Amino acid sequence: MADPGTDNPSSRSESPSQEGGGSEDKLLLHQRLAIRELIDTEDSYLHLLRLCASDIRSGLQQLPQGDLDILFSNINDIIQVSSRFLRGLQETASQEEEQVQLIGNLFLQFHEEFEQVYKVYCANYDQALLLVNAYRKEPELQQEIQGIIEAVVPQAGPSGLSFVLVIPLQRITKYPLLLQKILENTLPSASAYPVLQRATSALQDVNSNINEYKMRKEVASKYTKVEQLSLRERLARINTHTLSKKTTRLSHMLKQEAGLVPRTEDKEFDGLEERFQWVLLCVTELKSNMAAYLENLEAFLRFRPHECGVDIPGGPAEQYSSLARDLQHEVFMEFQRLEGLVWQPLCSLASVLVGPQNLIKKRQDKLLDFERVEEKLLEAGTITYEEEASRHTYQALNSLLVAELPQLNQLVMQWLGQIVRTFVALQKDLADQALQKAESSMAQLPHQHISEPDFRKLLEDTLDRTSGQLHSFRESLEKALPPTTQPLLPGSERQMQALLSRYGPEKLYQVTSSINGTGTLDLTLLRGQIVALLQNKDTKGNRSRWLVDTGGHRGYVPAGKLQQYHVVPSEKEPRGQVGLLEDSGLLTPEPTQVPVSAAPAVTQVVAAYPFVARSSYEVSLQAGQHVKILEAQDKKGNPEWSLVEVNGQRGYVPSSFLATIPSPAPWGWSLPS
Amino acid sequence: MSWIPFKIGQPKKQIVPKTVERDFEREYGKLQQLEEQTKRLQKDMKKSTDADLAGVQAAMSKSAVKISLDLLSNPLCEQDQDFLNMVTALDTAMKRMDAFNQEKVNQIQKTVIEPLKKFGSVFPSLNMAVKRREQALQDYRRLQAKVEKYEEKEKTGPVLAKLYQAREELRPVREDFEAKNKQLLDEMPRFYGSRLDYFQPSFESLIRAQVVYYSEMHKIFGDLTQQLDQPGYSDEQRERENEARLSELRALSIVADD
Repeated sequence: MADPGTDNPSSRSESPSQEGGGSEDKLLLHQRLAIRELIDTEDSYLHLLRLCASDIRSGLQQLPQGDLDILFSNINDIIQVSSRFLRGLQETASQEEEQVQLIGNLFLQFHEEFEQVYKVYCANYDQALLLVNAYRKEPELQQEIQGIIEAVVPQAGPSGLSFVLVIPLQRITKYPLLLQKILENTLPSASAYPVLQRATSALQDVNSNINEYKMRKEVASKYTKVEQLSLRERLARINTHTLSKKTTRLSHMLKQEAGLVPRTEDKEFDGLEERFQWVLLCVTELKSNMAAYLENLEAFLRFRPHECGVDIPGGPAEQYSSLARDLQHEVFMEFQRLEGLVWQPLCSLASVLVGPQNLIKKRQDKLLDFERVEEKLLEAGTITYEEEASRHTYQALNSLLVAELPQLNQLVMQWLGQIVRTFVALQKDLADQALQKAESSMAQLPHQHISEPDFRKLLEDTLDRTSGQLHSFRESLEKALPPTTQPLLPGSERQMQALLSRYGPEKLYQVTSSINGTGTLDLTLLRGQIVALLQNKDTKGNRSRWLVDTGGHRGYVPAGKLQQYHVVPSEKEPRGQVGLLEDSGLLTPEPTQVPVSAAPAVTQVVAAYPFVARSSYEVSLQAGQHVKILEAQDKKGNPEWSLVEVNGQRGYVPSSFLATIPSPAPWGWSLPS
Repeated sequence: MSWIPFKIGQPKKQIVPKTVERDFEREYGKLQQLEEQTKRLQKDMKKSTDADLAGVQAAMSKSAVKISLDLLSNPLCEQDQDFLNMVTALDTAMKRMDAFNQEKVNQIQKTVIEPLKKFGSVFPSLNMAVKRREQALQDYRRLQAKVEKYEEKEKTGPVLAKLYQAREELRPVREDFEAKNKQLLDEMPRFYGSRLDYFQPSFESLIRAQVVYYSEMHKIFGDLTQQLDQPGYSDEQRERENEARLSELRALSIVADD
C-alpha cells in the first residue's frame, strides 16, 4: 500500500518528524495487521468448520453413525460459538479507535465458552485419531475418504481426514498467539493495554485448563474400571516392568512404615478420602440392610393365614379372611413399589461408587511412585521420561480426585437422603392403605363401638368362659362311662342278695379281674364276684387296699380291681326283689305279675357240663341236671367250689360247671322263641 | 330271624343300623377336618407371630430398626447436622414401630393362639372317646356273634345255659356301646357347632390388632414425613428424580462409565 519510493509521507504528515513517532506508527500498523489477521483467519476457520460439519460429514455417510459422532464430536457447538464470536469481531471493525479495547473485551466475554466447547472436542480428539488410523489400514476405505476430503478441502493434502479434524485444536492454541501479537504492537500506555493483557492471559489459561481436563479424563478412564482378568491373563501381564514397578512401590511403602522416608501428607485429600469412605460405608450398609428387609418382607408375605381358614361362615372370621386377603393382594402389592423406588436407586448408587474407589486405590499406588521419583529428583537432579510420566499420572489423579470428590460426596449424600425419604413415604402410604382396609373391616364387627381396653376385658372374660366350656367338653369325653357290669357268677345271686340286704347297694362292688391273695388276710376272688365294702383302707392307712366281705369271708383286696356294682336286675328276674332294688334307681320296675316264688332259690340252677366226683366231698353231675345250691363257696370260702344238692346227694362241684337259667323253667325246656 | 340258611360265611351282620353309622361317620369326619384346620391355622399363626427372630413379623420389624441403627452409627452424623437430624428421627420412628409390633404380637398370642391351642386340646380326648366306642363296638359284635351261635344250636340244657350266660354278658356290653355311641352323637355336633362362638372373638381380636397397629404406624410415619419435609411426589416424579441424580453423578470423570 505504501509507496516504496517515498518516505511514508502520510505517516510523517500525521506526526511531527520524530523517530519515535515513526516507530509508533509502525506499531500501529502492525497492530492493525494483526487485528486484520485475527478477523480474516477466524472467518476462514469458520468456513472450513462449516464445510467439515456439513459436506464432509455427509460425504462420509458410509461410516457408522457412532464413528461419525466420535470423529466430529461437538463440532457444531464450536461452530455456534465461533460464528457469534466472528460477528462480534466484525462489529468492532467499524469502531476504529476503540477496536483493540473491544476485541479484548470480546475475548474476555467469550473465553469461558471457548473453554467449555473446546475441552470436550480436545478430550475426544485422541479417540477420533484412533479411528482415523484404523481407517488408514483399510486401503479401499482410505481411498474413498481421501477422495471426499480432497473434493471439499483440496488443501488437506495426503493427510486428509486428520488434517481436517485437527483444525479446531490449532485454532484454540492460536488465539493466545494472535493476542500476543496484538499486545506486542500496542503501547503499554494505551487504554486498551490492560484489557488486552487480561485477555491474553485468560486465553492462555483456557489452553492449560483444556490440557489438564484432557489429562484427567485420560487418567480417569484408564483407572476407574477394574478389569475382570482371569488368572492366566493376570499372569500374562506380569513382566519385568510390572514386577519392578510393584516391588519398588512395596519397598517404598515399607520404608515409609519404618519411618525411613517421610510420607507425603496431604491433609486436604485425606479429609476428602475419609469422608468418601464414610459415604461408601453408609451406602453399602444401607444397601445390605435394605436387602435383608426386603427378604423378610417376602417371607412375611408367604404366610397366608387367611387361606387355611377354619370353616366358619359369616361374622368376624370371614371379615378377617377378606381383610387378610386384601392386605396381601392390594396393600402389600403396592408396597412393592419399594423395589423400583428404593432398591434400584440404591443399587445404582452403590455401583457409582466403584469407580472412585478404584481411583483412590490407584492414587495410593501412584503416590508411592511419585514419592520415589521426588526422592530421586532430590538426589540425582534428573529423572527419566518414564519417571516424569509417572509423576504426572500421580499429579493428575490427585488433582482429579481433589477436584471432584467433594462434589461426589455431596451428590451421593443428597441422593441417599432422598432415598431414605422415599422409604419413609412408602411406609406411610402402606400404613394409610392398610389402616383404611382394617378400619372398614372393623366397622362391620359387632363390638366396633367398644374402646380397645374395654374390648380386651370383654374378650378376656369371654375366653375364660369358653375355656371353661372346652374343659367340660373334654371332661365329658374323657370320663369313663358307667362301667360295664359283668354277669354274676352262677350261684352268687343269692350271695349278692345277702350282701345287699346286709350292707345296702352303695357298698357293693364287683371284682373286675381275678384277685390272687398273697398275704394272710388277702382274699382270692374270681372275676365277677360281688363283695361288700367294709373299709376303703387297711390298718396302715393304705387306701389302695380295701377290706371287704364276701358273705362268708372277710379280707383285703386291691382297690383297683373293684368297681362299684350297680345292681341291675335282669329282665327275667322275678319282681320279688324289685323292692330292694328300688334304691339303685336305675330301672323303673315294671309291675309284672310274675309269680313270685317264696323260696330263697329264685333261679333255677342246672349243671352245664358233666362232672365226675373225685372224692367223697364231691358229687357227680350230669349235664342238664337241676341242682340246688346250698353254699356258693367251700369251707375255706373259695368260690370256685359250690355245695350243691343233686338227686338227694350233697357234695361239692366246680362253680363254673353250673349255669343259671331263667325261672320260667318250671314250664319245661321250651324252645325260646 | 335266626333261620336264614346262608348265615355262615356272610360278613358281620349290621348290628348298628346303617343310618346311625353314617351319621356318626359324617359328624366325626367334620370334626377330623376341623382338627386339621385348627392345627394348620395354629401353626401358621405361630410362625407368623413368634416373638423371636424366627417369627416373620418380628424379623421384618427388627431389620427395619437395623437400617436406622446403622445409619445413626455412621461418622457422617457428626459432621452433617441435617443428616443427623434425619436419621435420628428415622431411628426413633423405627424403634417405636418395633415396640408396637411386639405389642401386636403379644396380643395375638393371647387372644388367638392360646385359644386355638385350647380348642385343639379337645381333639385328643375326642379321638380317644371314638376309639373306645370302636372298641365297645367290636366287643358288642363279638358277643352278639356268640349269642347268635348259641341260638342256632340245638337247644339242649348245656346249650341253653351257655346261651343264657352269653346273653347276660352281651347285655352290658351292648348297653355300653349304645351309651358311648349316643354320647358321641350328642357331643360331636355340639362341639362342632361351638366353634362358631368360640372363634369369633379371636378373629375380632385379630382385626382389631391390625387396626391398632396400622393406626400407630400411620401416625408415626405421618409425623416423620412432616418432619423430614417430604413433598408429595408421584412415582414418575421420583423416578425422574433418580434418573437425574444418576446422570449428574455419571457426568463426573471419576465415576466410571458403563
